[in-house]
Amino acid sequence: MIRCDGLGLTLSHRPVLNDLSWELAPGSVWGIIGPPASGKSVLAKTLCGLFTPQQGTLHVDGVEMTRLPEPERVTVRRKMGMLFQNNALFDFLRVWENVAFPLARQDPSLSREALAARAGERLRAVGLAGSEEKWPSELSGGMKKRVGIARATICNAPVLIYDEPTAGLDPVTTSKIYDLLTDLRTRHASTVIAISSDIPALRRFVDHILFLHQGQVRYRGPEAGLEACEDPVVYQFVRGLGEGPL
Amino acid sequence: MIGNFFASIGAFVLGLIEAFFAGLSIAGRTFRGVFHPRGRARGEVLAQMYQIGNRSLLFVTVTLGALGMVLVFQVCLQINKITGDQSQVGPEFIRGMVHAFVPILTAMMLATRVGAGIAAELGSMTVTEQVDALRMTGVDPVDYLIVPRFLASIIMTLVLGIYATVIVVVAGALMAHTAFDVNYAVFFVFEKVTWGDLGVGLTKLAVHGGAIPIVSGYCGLSTTGGSEGVGTATTRAVINSSLTVIILDFVISAIGLMTVQAGV
Repeated sequence: MIRCDGLGLTLSHRPVLNDLSWELAPGSVWGIIGPPASGKSVLAKTLCGLFTPQQGTLHVDGVEMTRLPEPERVTVRRKMGMLFQNNALFDFLRVWENVAFPLARQDPSLSREALAARAGERLRAVGLAGSEEKWPSELSGGMKKRVGIARATICNAPVLIYDEPTAGLDPVTTSKIYDLLTDLRTRHASTVIAISSDIPALRRFVDHILFLHQGQVRYRGPEAGLEACEDPVVYQFVRGLGEGPL
Repeated sequence: MIGNFFASIGAFVLGLIEAFFAGLSIAGRTFRGVFHPRGRARGEVLAQMYQIGNRSLLFVTVTLGALGMVLVFQVCLQINKITGDQSQVGPEFIRGMVHAFVPILTAMMLATRVGAGIAAELGSMTVTEQVDALRMTGVDPVDYLIVPRFLASIIMTLVLGIYATVIVVVAGALMAHTAFDVNYAVFFVFEKVTWGDLGVGLTKLAVHGGAIPIVSGYCGLSTTGGSEGVGTATTRAVINSSLTVIILDFVISAIGLMTVQAGV
Protein backbone atom coordinates (compact mmCIF):
# COMPACT_ATOMS: atom_id res chain seq x y z
CA MET A 1 0.00 0.00 0.00
CA ILE A 2 2.71 2.48 1.06
CA ARG A 3 6.45 2.02 0.56
CA CYS A 4 9.24 4.47 1.40
CA ASP A 5 12.83 3.84 0.32
CA GLY A 6 15.65 5.97 1.73
CA LEU A 7 13.45 9.02 2.38
CA GLY A 8 15.41 12.12 3.33
CA LEU A 9 13.86 15.50 4.11
CA THR A 10 15.51 18.74 5.22
CA LEU A 11 13.40 21.66 6.46
CA SER A 12 14.91 25.09 7.20
CA HIS A 13 18.44 23.66 6.77
CA ARG A 14 17.72 20.98 9.42
CA PRO A 15 17.51 17.31 8.49
CA VAL A 16 14.14 15.99 9.70
CA LEU A 17 13.93 12.58 8.01
CA ASN A 18 17.07 10.58 7.37
CA ASP A 19 17.32 7.55 5.07
CA LEU A 20 13.91 6.27 6.15
CA SER A 21 12.66 3.01 4.65
CA TRP A 22 9.30 1.52 5.58
CA GLU A 23 6.62 -0.64 4.02
CA LEU A 24 2.97 -0.84 5.06
CA ALA A 25 0.82 -3.72 3.91
CA PRO A 26 -2.87 -3.04 3.13
CA GLY A 27 -5.03 -3.31 6.25
CA SER A 28 -2.10 -3.09 8.67
CA VAL A 29 -2.26 -0.81 11.71
CA TRP A 30 0.94 1.04 12.58
CA GLY A 31 1.81 3.28 15.47
CA ILE A 32 4.57 5.88 15.15
CA ILE A 33 6.24 6.75 18.42
CA GLY A 34 9.36 8.60 19.46
CA PRO A 35 10.62 11.54 21.51
CA PRO A 36 9.37 15.06 20.70
CA ALA A 37 10.71 16.59 17.45
CA SER A 38 11.77 13.22 16.10
CA GLY A 39 9.94 13.76 12.78
CA LYS A 40 6.71 11.82 13.43
CA SER A 41 4.23 14.45 12.16
CA VAL A 42 6.56 15.41 9.31
CA LEU A 43 6.69 11.77 8.24
CA ALA A 44 2.87 11.58 8.30
CA LYS A 45 2.60 14.73 6.16
CA THR A 46 5.31 13.46 3.82
CA LEU A 47 3.31 10.28 3.24
CA CYS A 48 0.38 12.50 2.17
CA GLY A 49 2.59 14.51 -0.17
CA LEU A 50 2.31 17.68 1.92
CA PHE A 51 6.13 17.75 2.13
CA THR A 52 8.42 16.78 -0.73
CA PRO A 53 11.45 14.74 0.35
CA GLN A 54 14.78 15.64 -1.23
CA GLN A 55 15.99 12.04 -1.22
CA GLY A 56 14.42 8.64 -1.71
CA THR A 57 11.15 7.43 -3.17
CA LEU A 58 7.61 7.12 -1.82
CA HIS A 59 5.09 4.82 -3.46
CA VAL A 60 1.42 5.01 -2.51
CA ASP A 61 -0.70 2.32 -4.12
CA GLY A 62 2.00 1.88 -6.77
CA VAL A 63 2.27 5.61 -7.63
CA GLU A 64 5.62 7.33 -7.01
CA MET A 65 4.67 10.51 -5.15
CA THR A 66 7.91 12.44 -4.72
CA ARG A 67 8.20 13.70 -8.31
CA LEU A 68 4.46 14.19 -8.89
CA PRO A 69 3.33 17.79 -9.42
CA GLU A 70 0.84 19.14 -6.85
CA PRO A 71 -2.34 18.75 -8.97
CA GLU A 72 -1.58 15.06 -9.57
CA ARG A 73 -0.83 14.42 -5.90
CA VAL A 74 -4.45 15.30 -5.18
CA THR A 75 -5.54 12.06 -6.86
CA VAL A 76 -3.29 10.06 -4.52
CA ARG A 77 -4.36 12.10 -1.47
CA ARG A 78 -7.98 11.11 -2.13
CA LYS A 79 -6.95 7.64 -0.97
CA MET A 80 -6.04 9.11 2.42
CA GLY A 81 -7.79 10.73 5.33
CA MET A 82 -5.91 12.60 8.01
CA LEU A 83 -6.61 13.82 11.51
CA PHE A 84 -4.16 16.66 12.14
CA GLN A 85 -2.34 17.20 15.42
CA ASN A 86 -4.14 20.54 15.99
CA ASN A 87 -7.40 19.10 14.58
CA ALA A 88 -7.18 21.76 11.83
CA LEU A 89 -10.93 22.40 11.84
CA PHE A 90 -11.84 25.31 9.56
CA ASP A 91 -12.99 27.97 11.99
CA PHE A 92 -15.02 29.74 9.28
CA LEU A 93 -17.22 26.67 8.71
CA ARG A 94 -19.83 25.04 10.93
CA VAL A 95 -19.19 21.55 12.30
CA TRP A 96 -21.18 19.73 9.61
CA GLU A 97 -19.57 21.80 6.86
CA ASN A 98 -16.14 20.87 8.23
CA VAL A 99 -17.03 17.18 8.15
CA ALA A 100 -18.56 17.38 4.67
CA PHE A 101 -15.68 19.44 3.22
CA PRO A 102 -13.57 16.54 1.79
CA LEU A 103 -16.70 14.83 0.47
CA ALA A 104 -17.83 17.99 -1.34
CA ARG A 105 -14.42 18.18 -3.04
CA GLN A 106 -14.40 14.51 -3.93
CA ASP A 107 -17.92 14.50 -5.37
CA PRO A 108 -19.00 18.00 -6.47
CA SER A 109 -22.32 16.63 -7.78
CA LEU A 110 -23.60 16.03 -4.23
CA SER A 111 -26.25 18.54 -3.16
CA ARG A 112 -25.96 20.56 0.05
CA GLU A 113 -28.75 18.44 1.55
CA ALA A 114 -26.96 15.19 0.67
CA LEU A 115 -23.71 16.51 2.13
CA ALA A 116 -25.49 17.57 5.33
CA ALA A 117 -27.10 14.13 5.61
CA ARG A 118 -23.77 12.30 5.16
CA ALA A 119 -22.03 14.63 7.63
CA GLY A 120 -24.87 14.13 10.12
CA GLU A 121 -24.49 10.34 9.82
CA ARG A 122 -20.76 10.55 10.43
CA LEU A 123 -21.23 12.89 13.39
CA ARG A 124 -23.70 10.43 14.92
CA ALA A 125 -21.11 7.68 14.45
CA VAL A 126 -18.56 9.65 16.48
CA GLY A 127 -21.14 10.48 19.16
CA LEU A 128 -21.71 14.10 18.21
CA ALA A 129 -25.31 14.09 17.07
CA GLY A 130 -26.85 17.54 17.53
CA SER A 131 -23.57 19.41 17.09
CA GLU A 132 -24.00 19.94 13.35
CA GLU A 133 -24.73 23.66 13.50
CA LYS A 134 -22.10 24.53 16.09
CA TRP A 135 -18.90 26.42 15.29
CA PRO A 136 -15.54 24.75 16.08
CA SER A 137 -14.86 27.42 18.73
CA GLU A 138 -17.91 26.17 20.68
CA LEU A 139 -16.49 22.64 21.03
CA SER A 140 -14.34 21.09 23.77
CA GLY A 141 -10.97 19.46 22.98
CA GLY A 142 -12.45 15.96 22.86
CA MET A 143 -15.32 17.09 20.62
CA LYS A 144 -12.88 18.75 18.23
CA LYS A 145 -10.92 15.50 17.98
CA ARG A 146 -14.13 13.63 17.17
CA VAL A 147 -15.06 16.15 14.48
CA GLY A 148 -11.53 15.79 13.08
CA ILE A 149 -11.94 12.01 13.03
CA ALA A 150 -15.36 12.34 11.36
CA ARG A 151 -13.81 14.55 8.67
CA ALA A 152 -10.83 12.23 8.18
CA THR A 153 -13.05 9.19 7.75
CA ILE A 154 -16.06 10.56 5.82
CA CYS A 155 -14.70 9.54 2.41
CA ASN A 156 -13.93 5.99 3.62
CA ALA A 157 -10.35 6.40 2.39
CA PRO A 158 -8.24 3.21 2.33
CA VAL A 159 -5.44 4.91 4.32
CA LEU A 160 -6.16 6.77 7.56
CA ILE A 161 -3.57 8.81 9.44
CA TYR A 162 -4.29 10.00 12.97
CA ASP A 163 -1.77 12.48 14.35
CA GLU A 164 -2.10 12.59 18.15
CA PRO A 165 -5.75 11.49 18.30
CA THR A 166 -5.84 11.71 22.10
CA ALA A 167 -3.41 14.51 22.93
CA GLY A 168 -4.59 16.55 25.89
CA LEU A 169 -7.61 14.34 26.59
CA ASP A 170 -8.56 12.66 29.86
CA PRO A 171 -8.24 8.84 30.18
CA VAL A 172 -11.98 8.23 29.73
CA THR A 173 -12.19 10.29 26.53
CA THR A 174 -8.94 8.70 25.33
CA SER A 175 -10.44 5.25 25.80
CA LYS A 176 -13.63 6.32 23.96
CA ILE A 177 -11.60 7.75 21.07
CA TYR A 178 -9.60 4.52 20.68
CA ASP A 179 -12.82 2.49 20.81
CA LEU A 180 -14.14 4.68 18.02
CA LEU A 181 -10.95 4.28 15.96
CA THR A 182 -11.04 0.50 16.46
CA ASP A 183 -14.68 0.42 15.35
CA LEU A 184 -13.93 2.48 12.22
CA ARG A 185 -10.90 0.31 11.44
CA THR A 186 -12.92 -2.89 11.77
CA ARG A 187 -15.74 -1.60 9.58
CA HIS A 188 -13.65 -0.21 6.73
CA ALA A 189 -10.54 -2.44 6.89
CA SER A 190 -8.35 0.61 6.26
CA THR A 191 -4.59 0.84 6.56
CA VAL A 192 -4.08 2.94 9.69
CA ILE A 193 -1.14 5.00 10.92
CA ALA A 194 -1.48 6.53 14.39
CA ILE A 195 0.98 8.88 16.07
CA SER A 196 0.69 9.28 19.81
CA SER A 197 2.65 10.14 22.93
CA ASP A 198 0.26 8.02 24.98
CA ILE A 199 2.26 4.84 24.40
CA PRO A 200 0.20 2.32 26.47
CA ALA A 201 -3.10 3.35 24.81
CA LEU A 202 -1.50 3.38 21.36
CA ARG A 203 0.05 -0.06 21.83
CA ARG A 204 -3.36 -1.53 22.60
CA PHE A 205 -4.65 -0.16 19.27
CA VAL A 206 -1.86 -1.01 16.80
CA ASP A 207 -0.26 -4.19 15.42
CA HIS A 208 3.09 -2.68 14.44
CA ILE A 209 5.34 0.06 15.74
CA LEU A 210 7.74 2.41 14.00
CA PHE A 211 10.08 4.13 16.44
CA LEU A 212 11.64 7.38 15.20
CA HIS A 213 14.51 9.28 16.75
CA GLN A 214 16.08 12.31 15.05
CA GLY A 215 14.42 11.31 11.78
CA GLN A 216 15.88 7.81 11.83
CA VAL A 217 14.10 4.50 12.35
CA ARG A 218 15.23 2.85 15.60
CA TYR A 219 12.62 0.11 15.64
CA ARG A 220 10.25 -1.19 13.00
CA GLY A 221 8.24 -4.31 13.67
CA PRO A 222 5.45 -5.98 15.60
CA GLU A 223 4.12 -4.16 18.63
CA ALA A 224 4.84 -7.21 20.78
CA GLY A 225 8.53 -7.11 19.87
CA LEU A 226 9.08 -3.55 21.15
CA GLU A 227 9.92 -4.71 24.70
CA ALA A 228 12.68 -6.95 23.37
CA CYS A 229 14.33 -4.16 21.34
CA GLU A 230 17.84 -3.54 22.65
CA ASP A 231 18.37 -0.12 21.09
CA PRO A 232 19.21 2.08 24.12
CA VAL A 233 16.97 4.94 22.93
CA VAL A 234 13.97 2.63 22.45
CA TYR A 235 14.72 0.84 25.72
CA GLN A 236 14.77 4.08 27.71
CA PHE A 237 11.75 5.64 25.96
CA VAL A 238 9.46 2.60 26.20
CA ARG A 239 10.21 2.09 29.88
CA GLY A 240 10.11 5.80 30.69
CA LEU A 241 13.53 5.73 32.36
CA GLY A 242 15.15 8.94 33.54
CA GLU A 243 18.67 7.81 32.72
CA GLY A 244 19.88 6.95 29.24
CA PRO A 245 20.81 8.54 25.94
CA LEU A 246 17.63 10.67 25.69
CA MET B 1 34.27 36.36 11.52
CA ILE B 2 34.43 37.97 8.06
CA GLY B 3 33.32 34.68 6.52
CA ASN B 4 30.25 34.65 8.78
CA PHE B 5 29.45 38.26 7.85
CA PHE B 6 29.48 37.50 4.11
CA ALA B 7 27.60 34.25 4.70
CA SER B 8 24.81 36.11 6.50
CA ILE B 9 24.64 38.72 3.71
CA GLY B 10 24.51 35.92 1.16
CA ALA B 11 21.76 34.15 3.10
CA PHE B 12 19.79 37.42 3.33
CA VAL B 13 20.08 38.09 -0.42
CA LEU B 14 19.16 34.49 -1.25
CA GLY B 15 16.17 34.77 1.09
CA LEU B 16 15.04 37.96 -0.68
CA ILE B 17 15.37 36.33 -4.11
CA GLU B 18 13.52 33.24 -2.90
CA ALA B 19 10.73 35.38 -1.40
CA PHE B 20 10.48 37.44 -4.62
CA PHE B 21 10.03 34.36 -6.80
CA ALA B 22 7.66 32.73 -4.29
CA GLY B 23 5.59 35.95 -4.32
CA LEU B 24 5.61 35.93 -8.14
CA SER B 25 4.45 32.32 -8.10
CA ILE B 26 1.53 33.24 -5.77
CA ALA B 27 0.66 36.16 -8.07
CA GLY B 28 0.68 33.84 -11.10
CA ARG B 29 -1.50 31.25 -9.34
CA THR B 30 -3.85 34.04 -8.24
CA PHE B 31 -4.30 35.33 -11.82
CA ARG B 32 -4.84 31.76 -13.03
CA GLY B 33 -7.36 31.20 -10.23
CA VAL B 34 -9.38 34.25 -11.30
CA PHE B 35 -9.95 32.79 -14.75
CA HIS B 36 -10.09 29.10 -13.76
CA PRO B 37 -11.96 28.98 -10.46
CA ARG B 38 -11.77 25.58 -8.75
CA GLY B 39 -13.70 24.82 -5.59
CA ARG B 40 -14.03 28.40 -4.39
CA ALA B 41 -16.57 28.86 -1.59
CA ARG B 42 -19.86 30.37 -2.73
CA GLY B 43 -20.39 33.96 -1.62
CA GLU B 44 -16.80 34.29 -0.41
CA VAL B 45 -16.03 37.28 -2.66
CA LEU B 46 -19.07 39.14 -1.28
CA ALA B 47 -18.10 38.28 2.30
CA GLN B 48 -14.58 39.58 1.67
CA MET B 49 -15.95 42.72 0.02
CA TYR B 50 -17.86 43.39 3.23
CA GLN B 51 -14.75 42.78 5.34
CA ILE B 52 -12.50 44.93 3.18
CA GLY B 53 -14.92 47.68 2.18
CA ASN B 54 -17.55 48.22 4.83
CA ARG B 55 -15.17 47.68 7.72
CA SER B 56 -12.74 50.28 6.28
CA LEU B 57 -15.34 52.99 5.71
CA LEU B 58 -14.95 54.83 9.02
CA PHE B 59 -11.15 54.55 8.90
CA VAL B 60 -11.00 56.04 5.38
CA THR B 61 -13.59 58.74 6.15
CA VAL B 62 -11.84 60.02 9.26
CA THR B 63 -8.28 59.82 7.92
CA LEU B 64 -8.86 61.24 4.47
CA GLY B 65 -11.38 63.81 5.72
CA ALA B 66 -8.82 65.15 8.21
CA LEU B 67 -6.06 65.02 5.63
CA GLY B 68 -8.13 66.97 3.08
CA MET B 69 -8.82 69.67 5.64
CA VAL B 70 -5.18 69.96 6.74
CA LEU B 71 -3.86 70.03 3.16
CA VAL B 72 -6.29 72.73 2.00
CA PHE B 73 -5.69 74.75 5.16
CA GLN B 74 -1.91 74.74 4.66
CA VAL B 75 -2.15 75.51 0.92
CA CYS B 76 -4.58 78.40 1.48
CA LEU B 77 -2.41 79.73 4.29
CA GLN B 78 0.69 79.80 2.07
CA ILE B 79 -1.18 81.33 -0.88
CA ASN B 80 -2.58 84.04 1.38
CA LYS B 81 0.99 85.02 2.25
CA ILE B 82 2.00 85.31 -1.43
CA THR B 83 -0.81 86.34 -3.78
CA GLY B 84 -4.04 85.86 -1.86
CA ASP B 85 -5.72 84.40 -4.98
CA GLN B 86 -7.46 81.21 -3.82
CA SER B 87 -9.25 80.53 -7.12
CA GLN B 88 -6.86 77.76 -8.23
CA VAL B 89 -6.77 75.91 -4.90
CA GLY B 90 -9.90 73.83 -5.55
CA PRO B 91 -9.19 72.75 -9.16
CA GLU B 92 -5.53 71.85 -8.48
CA PHE B 93 -6.40 70.15 -5.21
CA ILE B 94 -9.08 68.02 -6.90
CA ARG B 95 -6.73 67.05 -9.75
CA GLY B 96 -3.92 66.12 -7.37
CA MET B 97 -6.26 64.05 -5.27
CA VAL B 98 -7.72 62.17 -8.25
CA HIS B 99 -4.51 61.02 -9.91
CA ALA B 100 -1.97 61.00 -7.09
CA PHE B 101 -2.95 61.34 -3.44
CA VAL B 102 -6.19 59.41 -3.02
CA PRO B 103 -4.99 56.19 -4.72
CA ILE B 104 -1.80 55.92 -2.68
CA LEU B 105 -3.34 57.06 0.59
CA THR B 106 -6.33 54.75 0.28
CA ALA B 107 -4.05 51.86 -0.64
CA MET B 108 -1.65 52.57 2.22
CA MET B 109 -4.54 52.56 4.67
CA LEU B 110 -5.86 49.31 3.25
CA ALA B 111 -2.34 47.86 3.34
CA THR B 112 -2.28 48.41 7.09
CA ARG B 113 -5.84 47.38 7.91
CA VAL B 114 -6.64 44.78 5.26
CA GLY B 115 -3.08 43.52 4.70
CA ALA B 116 -2.58 42.90 8.42
CA GLY B 117 -5.95 41.17 8.63
CA ILE B 118 -5.26 38.86 5.69
CA ALA B 119 -1.78 37.93 6.94
CA ALA B 120 -3.03 37.29 10.49
CA GLU B 121 -5.95 35.14 9.29
CA LEU B 122 -3.94 33.10 6.79
CA GLY B 123 -0.96 32.92 9.15
CA SER B 124 -3.05 31.48 11.95
CA MET B 125 -4.64 29.04 9.48
CA THR B 126 -1.14 27.96 8.44
CA VAL B 127 0.18 27.36 11.95
CA THR B 128 -3.00 25.51 13.01
CA GLU B 129 -2.62 23.19 9.97
CA GLN B 130 -5.87 24.40 8.35
CA VAL B 131 -3.94 25.16 5.16
CA ASP B 132 -2.54 21.60 5.19
CA ALA B 133 -6.09 20.32 5.71
CA LEU B 134 -7.19 22.29 2.63
CA ARG B 135 -4.36 20.81 0.56
CA MET B 136 -5.22 17.38 1.90
CA THR B 137 -8.68 17.66 0.36
CA GLY B 138 -7.25 18.79 -2.98
CA VAL B 139 -7.98 22.49 -2.53
CA ASP B 140 -5.32 24.96 -3.63
CA PRO B 141 -4.97 27.44 -0.71
CA VAL B 142 -4.16 30.24 -3.18
CA ASP B 143 -7.31 29.53 -5.14
CA TYR B 144 -9.48 29.16 -2.06
CA LEU B 145 -8.08 31.86 0.21
CA ILE B 146 -6.26 34.47 -1.85
CA VAL B 147 -8.31 34.69 -5.06
CA PRO B 148 -11.58 35.81 -3.35
CA ARG B 149 -9.64 38.41 -1.33
CA PHE B 150 -7.85 39.54 -4.50
CA LEU B 151 -11.12 40.10 -6.39
CA ALA B 152 -12.84 41.70 -3.40
CA SER B 153 -9.88 43.96 -2.72
CA ILE B 154 -9.72 45.25 -6.32
CA ILE B 155 -13.44 46.06 -6.34
CA MET B 156 -13.51 47.62 -2.88
CA THR B 157 -10.29 49.61 -3.33
CA LEU B 158 -11.88 51.17 -6.42
CA VAL B 159 -15.13 51.88 -4.55
CA LEU B 160 -13.33 53.18 -1.45
CA GLY B 161 -11.02 55.29 -3.63
CA ILE B 162 -13.97 56.98 -5.33
CA TYR B 163 -15.67 57.44 -1.96
CA ALA B 164 -12.43 58.78 -0.44
CA THR B 165 -12.09 61.31 -3.28
CA VAL B 166 -15.56 62.65 -2.50
CA ILE B 167 -14.76 62.83 1.23
CA VAL B 168 -11.38 64.51 0.80
CA VAL B 169 -12.70 67.06 -1.71
CA VAL B 170 -15.79 67.90 0.37
CA ALA B 171 -13.66 68.16 3.54
CA GLY B 172 -11.19 70.42 1.68
CA ALA B 173 -14.01 72.60 0.35
CA LEU B 174 -15.51 72.94 3.82
CA MET B 175 -12.14 74.04 5.22
CA ALA B 176 -11.50 76.48 2.36
CA HIS B 177 -14.97 77.97 2.79
CA THR B 178 -15.04 78.25 6.59
CA ALA B 179 -11.41 79.30 7.21
CA PHE B 180 -10.64 81.33 4.05
CA ASP B 181 -14.08 82.25 2.73
CA VAL B 182 -13.51 80.47 -0.61
CA ASN B 183 -16.76 80.17 -2.54
CA TYR B 184 -17.91 76.59 -3.16
CA ALA B 185 -18.50 77.40 -6.84
CA VAL B 186 -14.85 78.46 -7.12
CA PHE B 187 -13.56 75.39 -5.27
CA PHE B 188 -15.64 72.73 -7.06
CA VAL B 189 -14.17 73.17 -10.53
CA PHE B 190 -13.41 69.86 -12.21
CA GLU B 191 -12.13 71.17 -15.54
CA LYS B 192 -8.49 70.49 -14.65
CA VAL B 193 -9.14 66.79 -14.19
CA THR B 194 -8.43 65.09 -17.52
CA TRP B 195 -9.47 61.63 -18.67
CA GLY B 196 -5.79 60.71 -18.33
CA ASP B 197 -5.80 61.74 -14.65
CA LEU B 198 -8.93 59.73 -14.08
CA GLY B 199 -7.46 56.70 -15.88
CA VAL B 200 -4.21 56.85 -13.92
CA GLY B 201 -6.08 57.23 -10.61
CA LEU B 202 -8.39 54.29 -11.29
CA THR B 203 -5.51 52.13 -12.59
CA LYS B 204 -3.53 52.81 -9.44
CA LEU B 205 -6.50 51.92 -7.24
CA ALA B 206 -7.10 48.64 -9.08
CA VAL B 207 -3.41 47.63 -9.13
CA HIS B 208 -2.81 48.55 -5.49
CA GLY B 209 -6.02 46.78 -4.51
CA GLY B 210 -4.81 43.62 -6.24
CA ALA B 211 -1.26 43.80 -4.86
CA ILE B 212 -2.22 44.01 -1.17
CA PRO B 213 -3.89 40.57 -0.85
CA ILE B 214 -1.18 38.90 -2.94
CA VAL B 215 1.67 40.26 -0.81
CA SER B 216 -0.18 39.81 2.50
CA GLY B 217 -1.46 36.40 1.45
CA TYR B 218 2.07 35.27 0.65
CA CYS B 219 3.24 36.52 4.09
CA GLY B 220 0.37 34.62 5.75
CA LEU B 221 0.90 31.37 3.86
CA SER B 222 4.65 31.40 4.53
CA THR B 223 4.15 31.75 8.30
CA THR B 224 6.20 29.41 10.45
CA GLY B 225 6.13 28.75 14.19
CA GLY B 226 3.25 29.62 16.49
CA SER B 227 1.63 32.89 17.53
CA GLU B 228 5.00 34.66 17.34
CA GLY B 229 5.21 33.62 13.68
CA VAL B 230 1.75 35.06 13.04
CA GLY B 231 2.84 38.37 14.58
CA THR B 232 5.96 38.45 12.41
CA ALA B 233 3.92 37.61 9.30
CA THR B 234 1.48 40.42 10.07
CA THR B 235 4.29 42.96 10.45
CA ARG B 236 5.93 41.70 7.24
CA ALA B 237 2.60 41.96 5.42
CA VAL B 238 2.08 45.61 6.41
CA ILE B 239 5.66 46.63 5.52
CA ASN B 240 5.84 44.64 2.26
CA SER B 241 2.35 45.68 1.11
CA SER B 242 3.12 49.35 1.79
CA LEU B 243 6.47 49.12 -0.03
CA THR B 244 4.83 47.33 -2.97
CA VAL B 245 2.13 50.02 -3.16
CA ILE B 246 4.77 52.78 -3.17
CA ILE B 247 6.82 51.08 -5.90
CA LEU B 248 3.76 50.33 -8.06
CA ASP B 249 2.49 53.88 -7.57
CA PHE B 250 5.83 55.24 -8.74
CA VAL B 251 5.82 53.00 -11.82
CA ILE B 252 2.22 53.81 -12.81
CA SER B 253 2.79 57.54 -12.23
CA ALA B 254 5.85 57.44 -14.48
CA ILE B 255 4.02 55.53 -17.22
CA GLY B 256 1.03 57.88 -16.88
CA LEU B 257 3.21 61.00 -17.15
CA MET B 258 4.87 59.60 -20.28
CA THR B 259 1.59 58.58 -21.92
CA VAL B 260 -1.94 59.70 -21.04
CA GLN B 261 -0.85 62.67 -18.89
CA ALA B 262 1.97 63.83 -21.20
CA GLY B 263 1.96 67.59 -21.71
CA VAL B 264 -0.82 68.24 -19.19
